[in-house]
Amino acid sequence: MANLEIIEDEFKERDASLPRETEIKIENLCVTFPDKNGGEPIIALSNVNLEIKQGEFISLLGPSGCGKTTLLRTIANLQDQTSGDILVRGLSPREIRLQKKYGIVFQSPVLYEWRTVRRNVCMPMELLGMPKKDRTARVTKMLELVGLMEFGEKYPHELSGGMQQRVNIARALAIRPEILLMDEPFSALDEFTKEKLHEDLLKIWKKTNKTILFVTHNIQEAVYLSDRVVVLSPHPGRVSAVVDINLERPRPIAIKESQEFNALVSKVRNSFEGV
Amino acid sequence: MIQIKKVLSSKYIVTLVWVIGLIILWEIGATVIAGSKRSPENILPHLHQIIQSVFTTNKVNGTQTAFQMVLSNTGTTLLRAGIGFVIGAGIGFLLALLMNLFLPIEKILFPYLMMIQMIPILGMAPIVLAITKDINKSRIIIAAILTFYPVATNTLAGFQSVAKEKHELMYSLAASKFEIYRKLMIPSSLPYFFTGLKISAPMAITAAILVDTLQGGAGLGTVLSQSLKHATTIYIFWQIVFLSAMIGILSFYFMLLLEQTVSPYKKKKKK
Amino acid sequence: MKKKTHFKWDKQSISTVLYPVLFGILLLILWQTQLLHKMIGADTFALPLPGRILRIIADNKSTVMKNVNATVIVAIGGLICGSLLGYLLGIIATIFPKWGVGGLSIASAISAVPIIAIAPILNNLTKDFSNDASTRSMLAKTIVVTITCTVSMSINAYRGLNELKPFSLDLMKSFAASKVTTFIKLRIPNSVPYIFTALRVSVPASIISALVSEYFAEFIIGVGRQIRENIVLAQYATAWAYIVVACAIGIMMYGILLVAEGILLKGRK
Repeated sequence: MANLEIIEDEFKERDASLPRETEIKIENLCVTFPDKNGGEPIIALSNVNLEIKQGEFISLLGPSGCGKTTLLRTIANLQDQTSGDILVRGLSPREIRLQKKYGIVFQSPVLYEWRTVRRNVCMPMELLGMPKKDRTARVTKMLELVGLMEFGEKYPHELSGGMQQRVNIARALAIRPEILLMDEPFSALDEFTKEKLHEDLLKIWKKTNKTILFVTHNIQEAVYLSDRVVVLSPHPGRVSAVVDINLERPRPIAIKESQEFNALVSKVRNSFEGV
Repeated sequence: MIQIKKVLSSKYIVTLVWVIGLIILWEIGATVIAGSKRSPENILPHLHQIIQSVFTTNKVNGTQTAFQMVLSNTGTTLLRAGIGFVIGAGIGFLLALLMNLFLPIEKILFPYLMMIQMIPILGMAPIVLAITKDINKSRIIIAAILTFYPVATNTLAGFQSVAKEKHELMYSLAASKFEIYRKLMIPSSLPYFFTGLKISAPMAITAAILVDTLQGGAGLGTVLSQSLKHATTIYIFWQIVFLSAMIGILSFYFMLLLEQTVSPYKKKKKK
Repeated sequence: MKKKTHFKWDKQSISTVLYPVLFGILLLILWQTQLLHKMIGADTFALPLPGRILRIIADNKSTVMKNVNATVIVAIGGLICGSLLGYLLGIIATIFPKWGVGGLSIASAISAVPIIAIAPILNNLTKDFSNDASTRSMLAKTIVVTITCTVSMSINAYRGLNELKPFSLDLMKSFAASKVTTFIKLRIPNSVPYIFTALRVSVPASIISALVSEYFAEFIIGVGRQIRENIVLAQYATAWAYIVVACAIGIMMYGILLVAEGILLKGRK
């Protein structure tokens, strides 16, 4: 469904022979929340170290309470860090946010129900102050990219959950973000829709060459999509392993039945601690 | 055949049957009262008598028929109610905006906003008249007070019910406060704002009529009390009862129409 | 884990209480020092000082209480009758949904008729019920309050009896529960929060309609009537005293409702 010809003028595929630059560097990151009843503070993330290269597809995987969403939110500057450092392209998360370099996709589609699909995708560009002509052209491109050309004048409630999530992705990509942050974007969708969106997301990622951080609690999903899976364990939230997924790309759906794939799933599963 | 069945079982037929049922009930009551009381038109006249009184050409005050008199006073009352309603809605919206923008203002005013709901404002109408010494001003003020608090509380609830993720999306796009209000807060609070308007529109009209009864001059309430004191025909009273009910209902639907014009999207109802 | 039971007075909760109280005191000071009068262009005759208003209430305790009783009895009597009647209508509409819903929409349309219109009709209607003017006035006023309270209760009761959790009706069916059992075990408990939604509207409405129906009543008694009578006699201070009393009744009844709601709906949310 995803039509990729249209964006080739904008993004160049990465030359595999060139060394990748560091995109995000996290050192000794700790995040704690104060206890509401005045007790001991809750440690959401303790001593996280992680380096993410430009153009990588990284999954943050773990059970609820392991701090995977907190890690994503800290990188997005939606949550303050307690100690440690995060550098995104050599700048702080706040500076990157103010430069509007992040595209965020939440679990719920967070569409504005009073705007049509087109105007939803358009919204971030209005904030960017893009001229109207450019916006219209860009919206058309984005809708083509996610395969929703005929649905531009519909309102969000007229779309299925999968379509709403496509609009959400189109909106996140509309302002040409450097980094795409996705917080369990497909966990509310059925298995069939999810598989279709997985394929499309991988195609879009390959063409746009963006760095993607993908939060999930689904092991198969993480292994299928990622270059590397960051496994987080709870109490306190910490990185317990980083598993390299050296499966060949492009990855057909059938790869999920291969021995290689299942071995990686087992490896990821065994790297959880104290669940 | 199926078409006819569909029409018969539709909502409108149900409503129509109810209306007919109520008319029958009214007529039975009117017949009973006509047989047992001395002046039945003061309690429950026949409906045809009321309709007749609308179309009669008998002059009640030398120049106007009963219905002309009612209509000419309706304008005065509606205009005052309308002015008060617009002022009240404007103040209510601004207040909600200020309360949402500045936390101390919300903390100071919120308890008082809740208290106004428990205070019988209509009971205060006479004193407002005593302070302003002007019936027109009093009508506007009372209608405005009754309008402002449903609008303020509902709009504030609208501002505060905006989903956290929507705020975070704006934050992640580094939107300014002005942009957040223009693109997110105000559009998403509009349905709540209109809920407030729908509650207060009939209230503003009731208030304006009630304030009329306090003093002579012009207005539906004035004619209504004259009619009750038998200064003119009692049918003026009955005409006003039906007219004010219709205006009350129409004001509600007028707000609904306005809402659909302003925000054409339809919210899906999950049922 | 041990939960701390005592409530901590942090900065937030202090300001939540302190700010409005300070504002109220400021308002009272402005009023007592007559600065408020200058701001809205009133004189102490039409807007008497708070101290004087309170003195009038204290000096005329027995008369004030007599009028308060008359108003409260009408308001509560009408509130109870109207709420019971409204709930009954809600049940009937649930049993016969197709016709019931139509009836409820008509009922809500009728509620748009201003109360001032019903009050005089009822005065005329109740003339033959009793020879005692106070009794028949009381009856007329109570009916007005009853009508205002019936509508909001019937609509909310219907919603409460029908807006059930998904699958809960299927669950009852799977137990082969009878209609009566479904009502007792599912519909009626489900409607309790909706009853309070209705009461939040009808408690203030019952007081307002009691006050307004007193304006038109034959027998001169009640807080609302006293406001009007004293204004006619240009005794504004006394009128204000009754306004303060009316506000106090409104706030107290709403307070009682909130406490009752807190107790009965405990653990629902």
